[in-house]
Amino acid sequence: MAESTTRRAAIVGGNRIPFARSGTAYAQASNQDMLTATLDGLVARFGLQGESVGEVVAGAVLKHARDFNLTREAVLGSKLAPTTPAYDVQQACGTGLEAAVLVANKIALGQIEAGIAGGVDTTSDAPLAVGDDLRRTLISLNSAKTVQDRLRALARIRPGMLAPEIPRNAEPRTGLAMGDHAAITAAEWGIGREEQDELAARSHQRMAAAYDRGFFDDLVTPFLGLARDNNLRPDSSVEKLAKLQPVFGTGEGATMTAGNSTPLTDGASAVLLASDEWARAKGLPVLAHLVDAQTAAVDYVHGGEGLLMAPVYAVPVLLARNGLTLQDFDFYEIHEAFASTVLATMKAWEDEAFCKGKLGLDAPLGAIDRARLNVNGSSLAAGHPFAATGGRIVASLAKMLHEAGPGKRGLISICAAGGQGVVAILES
Amino acid sequence: MAGTSAGRTVLEQPPNMAALFAKAALTARGRGGELPATRLARTGVTVDPAELAGYARVCRFPLADTLPATYPHVLAFPLQLALMSDRAFPLALPGLVHVRNRIDVLRPIGTTEALDLEVRAERFARHRSGATVDLCASVRSAGAEVWRSRSTYLARGATAPEGAPESDVTVAVGDLDRAVATWRVPDDAGRRYAKVSGDVNPIHLSGLTAKAFGFKRAIAHGMWVKARVLAALENRLPDAFAVDAAFRKPLFLPSTVTLSTAPAEGGWDAAVRNARSGTEHLVATIRPH
Repeated sequence: MAESTTRRAAIVGGNRIPFARSGTAYAQASNQDMLTATLDGLVARFGLQGESVGEVVAGAVLKHARDFNLTREAVLGSKLAPTTPAYDVQQACGTGLEAAVLVANKIALGQIEAGIAGGVDTTSDAPLAVGDDLRRTLISLNSAKTVQDRLRALARIRPGMLAPEIPRNAEPRTGLAMGDHAAITAAEWGIGREEQDELAARSHQRMAAAYDRGFFDDLVTPFLGLARDNNLRPDSSVEKLAKLQPVFGTGEGATMTAGNSTPLTDGASAVLLASDEWARAKGLPVLAHLVDAQTAAVDYVHGGEGLLMAPVYAVPVLLARNGLTLQDFDFYEIHEAFASTVLATMKAWEDEAFCKGKLGLDAPLGAIDRARLNVNGSSLAAGHPFAATGGRIVASLAKMLHEAGPGKRGLISICAAGGQGVVAILES
Repeated sequence: MAGTSAGRTVLEQPPNMAALFAKAALTARGRGGELPATRLARTGVTVDPAELAGYARVCRFPLADTLPATYPHVLAFPLQLALMSDRAFPLALPGLVHVRNRIDVLRPIGTTEALDLEVRAERFARHRSGATVDLCASVRSAGAEVWRSRSTYLARGATAPEGAPESDVTVAVGDLDRAVATWRVPDDAGRRYAKVSGDVNPIHLSGLTAKAFGFKRAIAHGMWVKARVLAALENRLPDAFAVDAAFRKPLFLPSTVTLSTAPAEGGWDAAVRNARSGTEHLVATIRPH
């Protein structure tokens, strides 16, 4: 054993490109283009040109087959030393935060001194697959040895097989879009239209204000002509959002619109983590430490739990292990997949029957101070390139904690497809 | 509309290259004399993001906020073609072979900068199998030169004027005995590059059109090969550098070729060769400024 004790990994800083709505500014860019540009921005910010870091960990949710080694390929195309190891992870929308946890754990164990965690996604350059029938036919055509075998394989192709399969934001086991799942949860928890629109408008207004005061100056590098997230609407208001028609859910209970749900987005993010010693030796700041993290999963298929409710279960486990209550935080970063998800999450923590019955607690976790929630806006404003969201949140929260002074604490909660959740504690 | 002053003509629009190739072919006969002092220019040229993305894809450059080192050539090439297809130009365009190209990147150029382009011909020189001429391009941004290039073309059997200097088409590289990559170059590589560069010279487009100009098969654009070499090294280059490439034997399509690289003098030496025969298609030096 090299080390018998662990240490806390420091968050040195982050970089991301502005996020762009699908089919707009980054319509021509690939995941590799965006991740490479994001890494190079981080390298430039922290003077890592030609240097090797312990590991680069990143991923994408929608990935071409050719991108099997996406992160390593991005490293090889970046200004980092070509001797920098890298690997891909994928945990749906939890990818970026999970990548940061993986890097932090290796730093904590003394296996690496510094690492980069990131994520990228594009729905503009999404992979198209051929249908299963055509795919099997083409594979048998490829392995056919004789002309006769080849003709036989070709003869099996039918016009109906030629339509490509477009990746959908839907759960394979339920066939429901993520928004449809969220709408079920919103109805179950009685989440109203107005509170969702309020949360969405506040996200836009707060993020616009953060941009205006320069908060993102050392977190975002312009890319392909974009300097700010182009989903951001500084003039967003509850009145404007109230005019939108619901897109998820049915009938009277349909409250979820394109305004209080995240749009399909392209973008990438990266976070530099390190040991305190490494940061000190480089003369780099320590914004915060990643204290602990927890994942959870729920049975949203047959078990009656909401698809995006796993973070609700992960947080009490994380709190208990760290001897904290839900109120012991200065900032809360709850990923706004949908406004209703954030609201249902908080409502569940306040609900006595749920906390006792489902979470096995003696008492509800209680309410959180809304003034401390997503104070610089979140995914409803920035947009949500699935795997890039974790890195955006980690870097932003670390900076907020650093600005607030030492000993401040922040909680991150990210829901993910497949009924999973990743949560983490950061401390300055 | 074109404005002319002291041999410098400013074109309002990029010339139509297919028409220039046709004009050059029709007026090939009976050329001769000295190089004209003509300078052709365009001002305030901006890059079309979609065209740049297409070029980057074909040459394997990542999409970024600065131009690939070879991209200004694509912007300046129509002016060079206009100059060469003009009747005053002493050499016939059909049969001219691009034998050397040197690019100096003085600083990275942003994709949104407005660029002033100027091209001229100079250095009519004697070559053992004919004569060479250099087409020079200069790119300025906000008044300062940011990029320049020198393309040397060989006209076999042509005669340089009395007292012309000896041409210089040699690029010296060190040992390059380690192939680092294999590229399968498909038979439509010429058409693909023609589409994104506008260089629709028939020798690159198909076997049939190449035969008409004396090549057994279509050949790859030298500037495409050079661009791919730079794309392979892109993130390892300094901000300002010179890349000097000699185009040796034609790269017939389709082919499988290898890229060899070696660090040299703070930069790189590179070669592209046929994977089987070892025939050398390109050698290049890349040196920091």
